Amino acid sequence: MIAVGALLHAKQLSRSPFEIATALIIPVVQATLAVYLFRAGGEPGRLLEAAVGAGLMGVWSSVLFGSGGAIQNQRWQGTLEMIMLAPRPPALVVLPITLATAITGTYAMVATLAWGRLLYGIPLTFADPVAFAVAVPGCIVGLGMFGLLLASTFVLMRNANALTNTLEYPIWLVSGMLVPITVLPGWTGPVAAVLPTTWGARAVREAATGSGPVWPSLGICLAISLACLVLGALMMTHVERRARAAATLALA
Amino acid sequence: MTDLFRLVGTGGVIAYRALFNWTTPAMFVGTLLVGPLFQLLFFAYLGRQLGVADDRFYIVGNAVLAATLACVFGGTMAVSNERRFGTLGHVLLSPRSRTAVFLGRVLPYAGNGLLIAVTTLTAASFLLGLRVPVSALPALLLTLAVAALSCGFFGLALGAVGLRFRDVWLVSNVSVALLLLLTGVNVPAAELPAGMRVAGQLLPITHGAEAARRLVAGEGFGSATGPLAAEVAVGLAYAVLAAALLKIFEAESRRRASLDTL
Repeated sequence: MIAVGALLHAKQLSRSPFEIATALIIPVVQATLAVYLFRAGGEPGRLLEAAVGAGLMGVWSSVLFGSGGAIQNQRWQGTLEMIMLAPRPPALVVLPITLATAITGTYAMVATLAWGRLLYGIPLTFADPVAFAVAVPGCIVGLGMFGLLLASTFVLMRNANALTNTLEYPIWLVSGMLVPITVLPGWTGPVAAVLPTTWGARAVREAATGSGPVWPSLGICLAISLACLVLGALMMTHVERRARAAATLALA
Repeated sequence: MTDLFRLVGTGGVIAYRALFNWTTPAMFVGTLLVGPLFQLLFFAYLGRQLGVADDRFYIVGNAVLAATLACVFGGTMAVSNERRFGTLGHVLLSPRSRTAVFLGRVLPYAGNGLLIAVTTLTAASFLLGLRVPVSALPALLLTLAVAALSCGFFGLALGAVGLRFRDVWLVSNVSVALLLLLTGVNVPAAELPAGMRVAGQLLPITHGAEAARRLVAGEGFGSATGPLAAEVAVGLAYAVLAAALLKIFEAESRRRASLDTL
């Protein structure tokens, strides 16, 4: 059910020219910015890292805006009542949506890598290609599970959109997607340590550059994501019951 | 003349309240004040790590750029939300000057942009320890205002495109991303290829950021007048472009009876 649902929602998201163009063009612009910044900083050897980092930023943007608005989008489409009527736990119905946002986020990764290779001649020589091929989907699944927690949290908040718009750069920054965590103030360390984005980005970067062991980072990413999934599922059940009792499913 | 000012001023404020209606205080603070500050911090730390430029380069540049979010999307909303709310036809039926109606709408967004730029600059200076010479503050405020207005007219030109094309939000989103890259706010212009540098010269913010950097560096107003004049020229060019596009696309949509159908 999760696989079919994720595929269905990924197909639906992929039918939107706006979503696709945004997922492809904006990360490419950011990758270009990163490439020129790394070149200007005398770090031409780290261009693959820049392209991968920009791709991960695109994945996070997709999860943040897609999952953050998952419930609201269903409400606007008039399909929220129907999916909530399904005889399955609400988390199982919403998880495919958040996974789909992470899957469509991979367009960003593909776009930045292809752009870097074709335009700037960045060699796509991954230190550990097998680990990279596992780390990227692992990171995607992890972020999709994290997305469920976002979706269930944001549905409780009247001003969730404000939080969505605010969270893009802080997570890019604290998770070390482009800026190494070591240059940030010390107090950001504990915040970074509990975010699955930090460990997912680290695993993908380690697989691409060989800067460390991939599997522990990926394992921690998935473990934190699993905890987010459990929390998100509990919260989603609570929200659904409350909305049914108060008859506010389509109004909240 | 009083009527014209009323149309531009009061009309602009009423349209702002009607079309920028998605903002609540939390949304305004989160999206327009906190978001740009984190954007600034992101590039400041990236710049520190790569050693591309000092903090002043990133703080001042990104503070000027912070106005773009309100100005570009606001300018776009000033036109495209009329269609979304079904009121575009009513506006275009008005016997008053369309140019005055729409150009007046940019003013509140430019005011927003100025507020955001000043807030971002103040907060970032406090957080990252940038000292701005007190004597430079009036000219700096003028520079930020000019950049915000210039950016608002740029947004209005994009909004005019919304009279002809459906996916104007895509254009706005991509434009904001391109401003990050091409204006020399985050990558020093000298590091960009010639084509990108030329494109940057034709965009708002580029010259405003340059003028603001010179002022914060204590070089005095005299050294900033060149870039400031260039920013004024760019802003005026986009105002003329927006007025022309609005006129052309309005005529075209009347001719094709496609005002509300695109």
